[in-house]
Amino acid sequence: MAKIIIDGKEWEFEEGMNLFEACTIARGGEKLPHFCYHPGLPVAGVCRMCQVEIEGVPKLQIACNSTVRDGMVVNTRSERVENTVRQILEFHLLNHPVDCPICDQVGECALQDQYMKYGLYETDVDVGDKVMKHKAQAIGEHVMLDAERCVLCSRCVRFTEHITKTNEMGIFNRGNHSEVGVAPGLSLDNDYSMCVVDLCPVGALTSRDFRFRKRVYRLSSVDSVCPGCATGCNMRIEYADGVIYRQKPRTNLAVNEYWMCDQGRLLYKHVGGDDRLEEPFVREDGELSPVGWDHLWSALKARWEGLGESRRLVLVGSPHATLEELYGLKSLLADAAGGRVLGHRLDGTEMDRDDGFLMAADRTPNDQGARRLGYEAFTASELHDAGGEDALLVILDNDLAGLDEAAAEALGSYGAVAYLGWRENATSRVADFVLPGLSYAEKDGVFVNKDGRAQRFFKAVDGPRQAREDWRLIAELGEIFGHTPTWRAHHDLLSELSARLDAFGALAGGIGEEGTLLDGDSAAKEVERG
Amino acid sequence: MSDFPKILLDNVGVENSHTLQVYRSRGGYKSAEKTLKTMKPEEVVGVVKDSGLRGRGGAGFPTGVKWGFVPQNSGKPVYLLVNADESEPGTFKDRDILDHDPHKMIEGIIIASYAVNCHDAFIYIRGEYGWIVKRVQKAVDEAYEAGLLGKDILGTGFDLEVIVHQGAGAYICGEETGLINSLEGKKGQPRIKPPFPAVVGFLDSPTVVNNVETIASLPWILEHGADAYRGIGTEKSPGTKLFSLSGPVKRPGVYELPLGTPLRELIFGEEYGQGMLPGIELKACIPGGSSVPVLTAEETMAAKLDYESLAEMGTMLGSGGCIVIGDDASMPEVLKVLLQFYHHESCGQCTPCREGTGWLDTILERMLAGKGRPGDLDLIERVCQNMAGLTICVLSDAAVMPTRSFIAKFRDEFAALLPKDEEPEEFVPIARSAEDRS
Ligand SMILES: Cc1cc2nc3c(=O)[nH]c(=O)nc-3n(C[C@H](O)[C@H](O)[C@H](O)COP(=O)(O)O)c2cc1C
Ligand code: SF4
Ligand code: SF4
Ligand code: SF4
Ligand code: FES
Repeated sequence: MAKIIIDGKEWEFEEGMNLFEACTIARGGEKLPHFCYHPGLPVAGVCRMCQVEIEGVPKLQIACNSTVRDGMVVNTRSERVENTVRQILEFHLLNHPVDCPICDQVGECALQDQYMKYGLYETDVDVGDKVMKHKAQAIGEHVMLDAERCVLCSRCVRFTEHITKTNEMGIFNRGNHSEVGVAPGLSLDNDYSMCVVDLCPVGALTSRDFRFRKRVYRLSSVDSVCPGCATGCNMRIEYADGVIYRQKPRTNLAVNEYWMCDQGRLLYKHVGGDDRLEEPFVREDGELSPVGWDHLWSALKARWEGLGESRRLVLVGSPHATLEELYGLKSLLADAAGGRVLGHRLDGTEMDRDDGFLMAADRTPNDQGARRLGYEAFTASELHDAGGEDALLVILDNDLAGLDEAAAEALGSYGAVAYLGWRENATSRVADFVLPGLSYAEKDGVFVNKDGRAQRFFKAVDGPRQAREDWRLIAELGEIFGHTPTWRAHHDLLSELSARLDAFGALAGGIGEEGTLLDGDSAAKEVERG
Repeated sequence: MSDFPKILLDNVGVENSHTLQVYRSRGGYKSAEKTLKTMKPEEVVGVVKDSGLRGRGGAGFPTGVKWGFVPQNSGKPVYLLVNADESEPGTFKDRDILDHDPHKMIEGIIIASYAVNCHDAFIYIRGEYGWIVKRVQKAVDEAYEAGLLGKDILGTGFDLEVIVHQGAGAYICGEETGLINSLEGKKGQPRIKPPFPAVVGFLDSPTVVNNVETIASLPWILEHGADAYRGIGTEKSPGTKLFSLSGPVKRPGVYELPLGTPLRELIFGEEYGQGMLPGIELKACIPGGSSVPVLTAEETMAAKLDYESLAEMGTMLGSGGCIVIGDDASMPEVLKVLLQFYHHESCGQCTPCREGTGWLDTILERMLAGKGRPGDLDLIERVCQNMAGLTICVLSDAAVMPTRSFIAKFRDEFAALLPKDEEPEEFVPIARSAEDRS
């Protein structure tokens, strides 16, 4: 450990720790002024904003390329530092169009923030002297570039060079004609392209999906976890007035570091998609018709009873359902009501390539959670064999028919099919009862990712008016089969399962910021940091 | 000043001095042979340290000390990169060695490589020196054929490959880490330090970058010893140095002088510049290439050409590019040429340099176009202040040093470009002050 003094106060840090990070801690979380430094990227040291005074060193030093050494005395707020930062900021603004009123970055622009803090001065630059660059260029499917607003921090370039290693972006030309862009003949179309929008400290790179749809200071945000694959990238859902506008990665060094894939980021579009199941449906005279809940419940009860003396309940879970829902399904409808759990997923489906970075081969978010509750994969023939005229099949958010033709056929062997889910699909279309549930953005829950890390996500917006929380639907089903659940509220499910099941004992003390590894820290994913 | 051994230009002027045959006939490669056969690498480093040889690329860093920074057991190869990028205005001294005595440099490369345990050396030559690239390549080929390069040099068991590389014509590729990036095939822009190239350089391996002239001084030093070298020049600046003399003098050119020689000898000496062209008086002189502070005529007459005396006068020996300025020249116009250069050559990474070089150039351009504003000189000073010492490499400082000194020493000429006692010209401010906002 090294003892060092920052702004007059003594601190102990690891010898060799990045000085920028040490200063952030010493300044109570307030980062030094900066544009180019980013903890997930190699240091560039080009914006020159993070200057600090180090006693005994005649020149000011950039903190981002300095390391903590024992005995160091650092000053981050001296007049000399503040003046210098102010002047360097002026250099940044020199050729910047300062067209904030028509820029989409307003409210989350590092340049604007610094400028409001340091730079409220008259400028000595004549407008006519500014260097003109290219504006509003679509450089990829998801990203727009305004080169004039760029502060040449090189974050986007470093991202494509060192993180995706796709090298689409570069800074071309020299001196004050330096201009960021994509290499000739290329476009920015890698699977993580929108991360450059997060990285860009200014309004140079904006999301084509989000730009001009909402001022960011009108957005609220909630912590969530991407349901797109078994990695479970941590993210924030940003919304206003019940509408989701964008999803952004949330830092979790043990999972996704600072990044997420474009596909996951854009999943929110399904939440308000045309294929939402907005009302309960019951099949009457061969046709699915929208009905009220009371009607649905009584029709379902009647149907169940109509299946005769030998009537049986068969249950299919889902790797898309939350841990709580899966536990509810199993404990209430199987353990209490005597249903038979077939499993949580059709064997071999919803798999794709593992891209070696974030996207996992398993494109479902909670396979591990399901398996640890005892669910297993099953085949279409097992689905068929479990059927019969006396069987009611309850499917939780799982498009069996859409995933496999044989499974679609197997559904026909059941006396009745009830589908709980939030999107219309091949399975909901053949079901006899459709119970509209909520998407990941409309409820709280826990997913367990591929490394056995339990991660919480929270509700951002309300679901369709007639849709119900899935766990409540499960509880209602229990009543139909004559069993009242032990849990009354959603959080009871998690406390109960962590108290009752050894596999989830680690959750008894709650789930941490970075999630909680069910198998303990030994299984912690080694995070490669470069 | 006539009584000193020529160390660097001894072969220049001899017919076919660039060929191996002539070089050898004049004693060439004996020093390298002796070094490889009779000395240990650390002894070579010791001699160079003792000789007091300082880098001739501009910074004047002691060469032996620099070599001493190279870790010898990093498990990685050590590279020697010879810096022949020579692109600074007024600096054209390495060119004489490259053109007329390439074997002296190659011999120096063998010695330096042996000293730092390098087996792969590169010669990075500025893009515009096309014919020189050919000449140096030819000399390298000759050396390979004669067994002076390649495997088992002169039967000593020492191996050394030398590769000649032509740059693409950027001043910034002369900065050592810019050179390394360029040689690696990357954009030619300096790297942040630390890490320093002696530890993490070319291909992430320990790397020594030395100027052509530095390298070319080695054969003499190893042949005659550190004391003999120290016998020339001054205590803190031993040896001889090349000076490239330009401007309105009778005999511009490249001259070798012991360090410590009066600057007026270079400009006015019979064997050197022979004085100003008829009708032109000395007005000023930039003694060390365009990147150092300018001297007035009076200072020029008093200056001595060594690291310490010029430092005392507030300027630097730099690369030894001596730009003489006559009284027929306008200082603002001369400065404009320099600023245009730095504006054009800034690699653009660091904000103060990228924006500052352009801004200075723009302000001066405006002043020269008769559109100067009353506060412009203060503005220039303010911009300079915020460009100096705040960037990755010293190109930013290199633009500042001439600018500040030109204005300080020839302020009248600049002030004459500004409107006198007029109201400041109105212009639309982009940002308003805090008071205006509230
Ligand atoms: C902008 C810039 C340009 C430079 N150009 C050259 C050059 O053309 N040749 C050179 O030898 N050194 C040049 N240098 C200095 C090198 O960075 C380095 O210090 C030198 O090559 C070291 O060799 P030496 O120790 O033998 O002098 C330049 C430095 C800067 C900052
Ligand atoms: S576009 Fe944005 S991220 Fe890229 S260099 Fe410019 S300011 Fe930085
Ligand atoms: S990698 Fe997986 S979890 Fe991460 S954002 Fe993409 S789909 Fe979502
Ligand atoms: S000081 Fe100028 S030339 Fe040197 S690295 Fe920075 S921008 Fe490039
Ligand atoms: S943040 Fe340190 S130089 Fe940019």
